[in-house]
Amino acid sequence: MITLLEAALLAFVLVSAAATIVLRDVLAAIVAFGAYSLGLAMLWLTLQAPDVALTEAAIGAGVTTVLFILTLTKTVRPPTEESVFTPINWSAAGVAVLFAGALLWTVPAIPAIGDPTAPAWTNPEVTQFYLESAYKETGVENVVTAVLAAYRGFDTFGEAVVVFAAGVAVLVVIREEQFT
Amino acid sequence: MSERNTERRERPYTESSVIMSTVRVVAPFVFTYGLFVMFHGADSSGGGFQGGAIIAAMVLMLAFAFGIEPTRRWFKNTAIVLLATGGVLAFLFIGIGPLVLGGTFLEYEVYGFKKATKYGIEGVELGIGAVVASVISGLFFAIARGFEFTEGQL
Repeated sequence: MITLLEAALLAFVLVSAAATIVLRDVLAAIVAFGAYSLGLAMLWLTLQAPDVALTEAAIGAGVTTVLFILTLTKTVRPPTEESVFTPINWSAAGVAVLFAGALLWTVPAIPAIGDPTAPAWTNPEVTQFYLESAYKETGVENVVTAVLAAYRGFDTFGEAVVVFAAGVAVLVVIREEQFT
Repeated sequence: MSERNTERRERPYTESSVIMSTVRVVAPFVFTYGLFVMFHGADSSGGGFQGGAIIAAMVLMLAFAFGIEPTRRWFKNTAIVLLATGGVLAFLFIGIGPLVLGGTFLEYEVYGFKKATKYGIEGVELGIGAVVASVISGLFFAIARGFEFTEGQL
């Protein structure tokens, strides 16, 4: 069942996500969004996904927040005297709630964490193969790295090229030939 | 409130000796940790993407402490471009090497030396880290410098 820590983190993530939506001041929304990412990173840790948590903390909470703030300094920040919260579009909120409900409806179909009858474990040709032969065949102890850089190395090469292409694409869009 | 806003927009950078000395002490450790995450990704959580992001975060930290402009001047465009292309090419050549030696793409064992797969993976992770770190810091500097569109320009 869900522990107290997980429940607290989940509540923190939900509250900061809601704050990102309803806060009128853009800077406050960015800060709330950073807090949301940090909470999500800790949630990944409790779900035993440290690789994802590291990325979420560095990219989601760190770099994205900095890039948003940097963009904000280049734009005009509207005065926020009237109210702290932004007016809510209720019909859009209704659609969002319906969509979230449809997604949550599928959650009971997901097997519990560590369930031995889950499809991932009852499929020895795939999961067990990687767990048993990753160290023997590659000599690295982290199965995630073994899959990323050895078994699915070609896909990872594609990912590296995508990051490189993103840098080139931004230079093309802003019509510059230099990063600095 | 609005007065303070306009003031902040005119002076986006405030020199603070507390932040500067903190960053001066912390930055080498963050850089080392980034390299550690990159190298140690084979045996614990982490890897090229995460380590590269941590090193890029260190660059952003330096820019916040010492001002974006001086940091931007200090980071040569050539270095960023060389790191980004070098990372992709390093990955590519490590992958193509086994093809030349008669194996398949990224079949590290063909290299033949001891623990070839492990060192191949480390090399690939370093390449990914170089791409990620340089592209993130490059995007940061490109956005920070600002850009303008001229009407009718395509």
